[in-house]
Amino acid sequence: MVSFDHAEERPEHITNILNGLDRYNPETTTIFQDYVAQQCEYGTYDCYANLALLKLYQFNPHLARDETITNILVKALTVFPSSDFSLCSHLLPPSLLNPPPNSQVSDLAEAVQKLSGLSTLLESCQFKEFWNTLDSDDLYADLIADIAGFEDVIRTRIVGVTASSMREITRELLESWLNLDGDKFDEFVKETAGFTIQDDVVFVPLNKDNEAKPTITRENVKFDQFSRVIKRAYEQPA
Amino acid sequence: MSIAAMLTGQTQYQAGTHDDDDFDDEGILAASIVEAIQNEDDDPSQTLQNIQSREDDLQSRLQAAATPLEYQASLEARYASYDNYCSLFHYILNSNGPVELDLPTYYWAWDVIDEFIYQFNNFCAYRNRLAKKGQNQEEIASLRENQQIWGCYSVLNILYSLIQRSQMNEQLAAIKRGEDPNTVAGEYGSRPLYRMLGYFSIIGLLRVHCLLGDFTLALKTLDDIELNKKAVFARVMGAHFTTYYYVGFCYMMMGRYSDSIKAFSHILLYVTRTKNFHNKSSQFDSISKTMDQMYALLAMCVALCPTRLDDTIHSSLREKYADQFQKLQRGGPESLAIFEELFQAAAPKFISPIPPDFDNSSNNIDPMQHHLQVFMLDVKNSMMAPVLRSYLKLYTSMDLQKLAAFLETTPDDLRTKLLVFKQKSRQYKWTEGGLLSGETVNTSDLDYALQKDLIHISEAKVGRKLVDWYLRNLTRSYA
Repeated sequence: MVSFDHAEERPEHITNILNGLDRYNPETTTIFQDYVAQQCEYGTYDCYANLALLKLYQFNPHLARDETITNILVKALTVFPSSDFSLCSHLLPPSLLNPPPNSQVSDLAEAVQKLSGLSTLLESCQFKEFWNTLDSDDLYADLIADIAGFEDVIRTRIVGVTASSMREITRELLESWLNLDGDKFDEFVKETAGFTIQDDVVFVPLNKDNEAKPTITRENVKFDQFSRVIKRAYEQPA
Repeated sequence: MSIAAMLTGQTQYQAGTHDDDDFDDEGILAASIVEAIQNEDDDPSQTLQNIQSREDDLQSRLQAAATPLEYQASLEARYASYDNYCSLFHYILNSNGPVELDLPTYYWAWDVIDEFIYQFNNFCAYRNRLAKKGQNQEEIASLRENQQIWGCYSVLNILYSLIQRSQMNEQLAAIKRGEDPNTVAGEYGSRPLYRMLGYFSIIGLLRVHCLLGDFTLALKTLDDIELNKKAVFARVMGAHFTTYYYVGFCYMMMGRYSDSIKAFSHILLYVTRTKNFHNKSSQFDSISKTMDQMYALLAMCVALCPTRLDDTIHSSLREKYADQFQKLQRGGPESLAIFEELFQAAAPKFISPIPPDFDNSSNNIDPMQHHLQVFMLDVKNSMMAPVLRSYLKLYTSMDLQKLAAFLETTPDDLRTKLLVFKQKSRQYKWTEGGLLSGETVNTSDLDYALQKDLIHISEAKVGRKLVDWYLRNLTRSYA
């Protein structure tokens, strides 16, 4: 069982801030910002803490740092198909996703909308289009630059989605989903994903999600349900 | 001094002066929230002269604090009401030792907190509307000068202070461990006034966090409260009801539709069954309005995560939203407008945590639009699920190309829709512990797996229920 506010490897000083009223203290902004940078560098992830930072920004807009906001959003992309990206979006200033008419779109608003577009592509499982979009503009490369191993993490997530729905998939299709080919594809699929390849078909081992076994839920009978009948039997001896 | 800093804002307003640098102001408020309460010093300005008269006075002030403000209240009345709350809570929290007063009923404490948050919510909406229209210059000037009034930090400060003063989280944790809460309650928390205000402040926090769009923190605040009929809030109808509405809504925004459906069904069923006890109470109008909102939210959740509802709930739902519910369940692009309509009618009135931009009225986006937009991204993604479902239900295996032809789409497109369908059917679901915890489960009765282009479809069926039938007939044979 997993709880949303739980994060592996969360340092103690962050835990203390999150559990106390210091989470509202604007002075903790820098501590959270460093923590985001640390997550980007070491590939850890702590959505609950990042939401606390977005909340601080929400209350103190003058403290907000564009780079940290986009990094938090890119980190949220790496855990799709969870709802983290939309939970972060809810705490952003409304003007970013919904720029007021006749105003110049800020750099941040442009970045946020681009990332939101990426999120939509991932959520709607259009993986080929996702990679194409990512390559289409240099801005994307800038946005994901801080996040170590971004592309491989996304690939692992796509593998997860694939494993939950597929038993067999053509090599060509999976290549386009993972944006890999040749030896790199073979290595990733065999080593990281644990699938097997035969000729042009990739085989996914059976798991509880791709079994699709018909089930029948049977009635669970409890003794209590009969208590009245039994009581009656005592009350009116035949 | 915790609340004292907040009260500086109040004096400023009364003296008619203002500080242009609202950054500093927010800074003080923020710092005060951090120091809140741990500071045991008492305010020297509070001298108790006549305890008896104070007690009467407090009773009438509490009563005033629980009285709804007129809908058409002027800006001045709203300011004055805020000042009254501040001085009342300041008095309760920072007097020489705990204030003596036995609350006549639980309702009092709930009504005070409920009305406090309602007025806060209402004030924010009023301010936003005014800024958006940009017409009433006099009121805008006044709002510009008094940005700290009904500020988020001060409202949160009061709620957190009430919770800490009464040691409420510690008390609830003790109850959970099966210990006597009085051992940790302290001088304040052992008195009903503080205990009740502290307890309902937790529910107040759930609400404020949700209004600000922080749905996970909202659920987190309930960590120490167990959601069941034995909980204290269940004794006050309004509190019981409000809690489930916000819990259900937060789950919905987290995409945990099955948890959301469970929360809404639970409370709707409870109210339906106990209706006769409540329909005479003055709160019943607002309760039945919230009930309609919950039915609307429930309709959306069921459309997004097909679930068999309790028969009573299902028939009321069809009675209230027959047309919309049908369209939602049919899915497709036509359902989007219905989702938007119901969301706007049934979601809480979101607030923006910072004062609006009075200089550029067009910059002020209604927070409702923002949250709606984010929510709709998720809805758009799953709007084809009902259509797919209706086809998948008919087969046990099917060729992808053939199904794509039926649906008038390309095989590639259909494949992505199937993948989405699978992801959406796997949800976090609560089993035990805090409200934020859960396990991934399959919430759909339909499942599938792709073997290249061959779709294997399986269905989870519910076997015949014989016990009820057997018992019914057995009773009949006795008669």
